[in-house]
Amino acid sequence: MARAQDAPSIEGDAEERRLIDRSAAGDQEAFRQLVIRHHRLVINVAFRALGELSLAEDVAQEVFLKVYKALPGYRHEKPFTHWLHRVAANAVTDALRRRRPIVSLDGMEQPPASRESDPLDVATRHDLQKAVRQAIASLPSHYRDTIALQAFGELSYEEIAKTLDIPLGTVMSRLSGAKRLLRERLGDLVHGEEANTA
Amino acid sequence: MLSHATARDWLIPYADGMLAADERRRIDGHLGGCAACGAELREVRELNLLLVTLPPAPPTSVAPFWLKLQAVLPQRRALRIPNFVGYRRAGLAFALASIAVIAAAATAFAAPSALPDNPLYPVKLIEENVQLALTPANDRLTVQLQQAGERLREAQAMATDHKPRLAESSLRAYTIIVDAAAVSLKRPATPQVTKDALHALRAKLDAVERVNANRDDDVAGIKQLVAAAVDELDRLEQQESVTAPALTVGEQATPDPTPKATPKPTPRPTDDGDRRERERD
Repeated sequence: MARAQDAPSIEGDAEERRLIDRSAAGDQEAFRQLVIRHHRLVINVAFRALGELSLAEDVAQEVFLKVYKALPGYRHEKPFTHWLHRVAANAVTDALRRRRPIVSLDGMEQPPASRESDPLDVATRHDLQKAVRQAIASLPSHYRDTIALQAFGELSYEEIAKTLDIPLGTVMSRLSGAKRLLRERLGDLVHGEEANTA
Repeated sequence: MLSHATARDWLIPYADGMLAADERRRIDGHLGGCAACGAELREVRELNLLLVTLPPAPPTSVAPFWLKLQAVLPQRRALRIPNFVGYRRAGLAFALASIAVIAAAATAFAAPSALPDNPLYPVKLIEENVQLALTPANDRLTVQLQQAGERLREAQAMATDHKPRLAESSLRAYTIIVDAAAVSLKRPATPQVTKDALHALRAKLDAVERVNANRDDDVAGIKQLVAAAVDELDRLEQQESVTAPALTVGEQATPDPTPKATPKPTPRPTDDGDRRERERD
């Protein structure tokens, strides 16, 4: 799985810390620089979760607004990106839950006819992705927040542990629980016939 | 031999590559003889495939995103009052009255010796500003030098407590005060007292630097600020020594012959930085 970001340099850390401090003091130019740095990360998380660019941009706006308001209370004890991931994951899962009635999983329990004949079919893939998103949205919050960081944030187990401030073993058990429920809720969409290699 | 139940529990971290080599070998051994776990593993892998194929966003421009965001960013410390003239006046009066009451109450409890990491420190600064504003012009220099000395006491205390950002902030505030005092130094009412005060400031700067240097992780920012402050003090003392004799002949002396010092950039105070660091501490 791709990593969300590489470890920043010491200079990058210092510059980011300066931008965070200035933003917390109300310097909007400094905050603009922070937004430029992390805009792509937040948009990607939101788009993976929601699947529509306009919605993703709305949620990303919401994320950065929350971040700006909360920055005066931010402590530099943990990396800014971990905190940002957490805020973003909360925002996108909230947005997903708000949108749940729009897409029903009932219609997705049987694979569409074109799925087996053309697995790369764009429409089918789109529907599958919608189903996965909605299934994630339906999970209990502790499972949902953890799997969102893996599926939407592309974070590793270790990064999820740091972001949520929980032990690695807890991440494992939560992801296991989340994936068991997802398999149950996605039903025949996860039939195990194709993915026989890892 | 791994039990079936344990093997099932480990299938998901196994598929995510999170198991140690010996654990993987044990799962591999179990999978060789358990068709149910084999089928479940295929489902887990299919689910993983669905999860990792959620696509990233197409390229977007950050400029319009920022403009839209900027329009809704709150102004820090902005006083939000309803946009009606009546409400505005009432709100402003109420806000001012509240500020006055809070300031008065806080002032009553504020210790004059509060340090920058004390929540009452802003009150102390307000008190100092009020004191300076009410001080007659002739005595202003004395008050400024006292306040500069207080900033250095704070810087020393913060450096001792290893709160370098607060120490740096106090040093910057010191610089601002000394810059302002430079104007008063052209006409010191008591040249000898002023000279002694400047010497005392120099001693305090040395103390700050000693505290900083004695730490294994001495902070470069403090060192630079102290060095700049000492330079500034040198300049002021030269100015004071040149100006003082002319002042001994009274107000009728010739116009100030002291060449104007070349202004040099001075770091601005970071009140907000203080506040945040206090919150962190």
